Amino acid sequence: MTTRNDVEKMIAQVGLGDRTAFSSLYDATSAKLFGVCLRILNDRAEAEDVLQEAFVRIWQKAKTYAANGYSPMTWLITLTRNLAIDKLRTRKAGSVDIDEVYDLADSGPTPEAAAVASSERAQIDGCLDELEPDRAGAVRDAYLEGHSYNELAAKYGVPLNTMRTWLRRSLGKLKDCLTR
Amino acid sequence: MTAADDHNDDVALAGEYALHLLDAEARRAFEDRLNNEPALRILVSEWDAHFISLSDEFTPVVPPAMMKARIEDVLFPKAAKARSEFSLWRVVLGAGFAAALGLAVLVALPPANVPDPFTPSFTAELAAEDQSLVVLASFAPDVGVLRIDRQAGEARQGRVLELWLIADGATAPVSLGVLPADAATNITLPADLIDAIAGGTLAISDEPIGGSTTGAPTGDVLAAGVVVSI
Repeated sequence: MTTRNDVEKMIAQVGLGDRTAFSSLYDATSAKLFGVCLRILNDRAEAEDVLQEAFVRIWQKAKTYAANGYSPMTWLITLTRNLAIDKLRTRKAGSVDIDEVYDLADSGPTPEAAAVASSERAQIDGCLDELEPDRAGAVRDAYLEGHSYNELAAKYGVPLNTMRTWLRRSLGKLKDCLTR
Repeated sequence: MTAADDHNDDVALAGEYALHLLDAEARRAFEDRLNNEPALRILVSEWDAHFISLSDEFTPVVPPAMMKARIEDVLFPKAAKARSEFSLWRVVLGAGFAAALGLAVLVALPPANVPDPFTPSFTAELAAEDQSLVVLASFAPDVGVLRIDRQAGEARQGRVLELWLIADGATAPVSLGVLPADAATNITLPADLIDAIAGGTLAISDEPIGGSTTGAPTGDVLAAGVVVSI
């Protein structure tokens, strides 16, 4: 199994222009990153385009990775998720209704859940549980589905500004809880 | 607003940025601040680290097999060229046929001649698409020795494997000689080829016994790989 250390070393080698390491990094991480693209975009062709763009960025930015202080999978997933949401936001409004199309939501814990540091997961779950259910749901949807404020407001049936206020307050409470 | 209010405001703003909730204009403005405010960058990285705990809900899905080649073709156009069929190679490089004649000046040496320790600084993996032939090449420029390690596959019945170098930007492949039946061998490169290895492509073609008589590959290209620095 590929460990965090392995991925870190691969990224360092990729930063030196090592194509073999790039190939190994792709083999080790592409399924996870493609899963991120598919969940956010819910469209295979778009997900493939974003996966390609993500690996191009990874190749280009790997040499600066060591300086950014991110753990390797956090860096890779964050980079990919941001590109996927960029793509999502450039869609013409109304072309896809994510709530209708995407009905895989509310998936229970995946087998992989066990692999993620369970204490960290428990911590954020515990802190989200301290919020009202709708407000915690909005934070989860923003992260996992890449929903915009407009989409969140529609989904939870509140005005846009109310959603913005909710979410900013939720973030403040979350931060307090997570750093306790 | 007090300093504490400002801080709380930035905490929420960094969280909105990490979630990608800011509209395009606000996002750009925030990124301008990020460039100048290390404290803000820390807030964002803290949020990214918190939210990553939710990422186990992104179920891995193996991408289509062609994706890897597609990405590598974008990043390494030369590798794409080397991977293509021999016929294409001939079309691309055909003009250089004559120039390649007489350049095959390589000698395969027994492994005993390897300097010890052998410290390569370049490597290439030459692999057929279906892995029916996999050859690992490593090169130590200080001694000019190219080590060949055939890990899978062999020459077809009554045929031989011939190794070629296509230097970066070259118009024709240069023969590095016929590979012996042994899986491992060392080839000493002439001085004028040592500098051509970096960034070049190594390829193996299927040839009649004794190797190509034209100075250019005549059979199928079985495997190819780009030389990278270690």
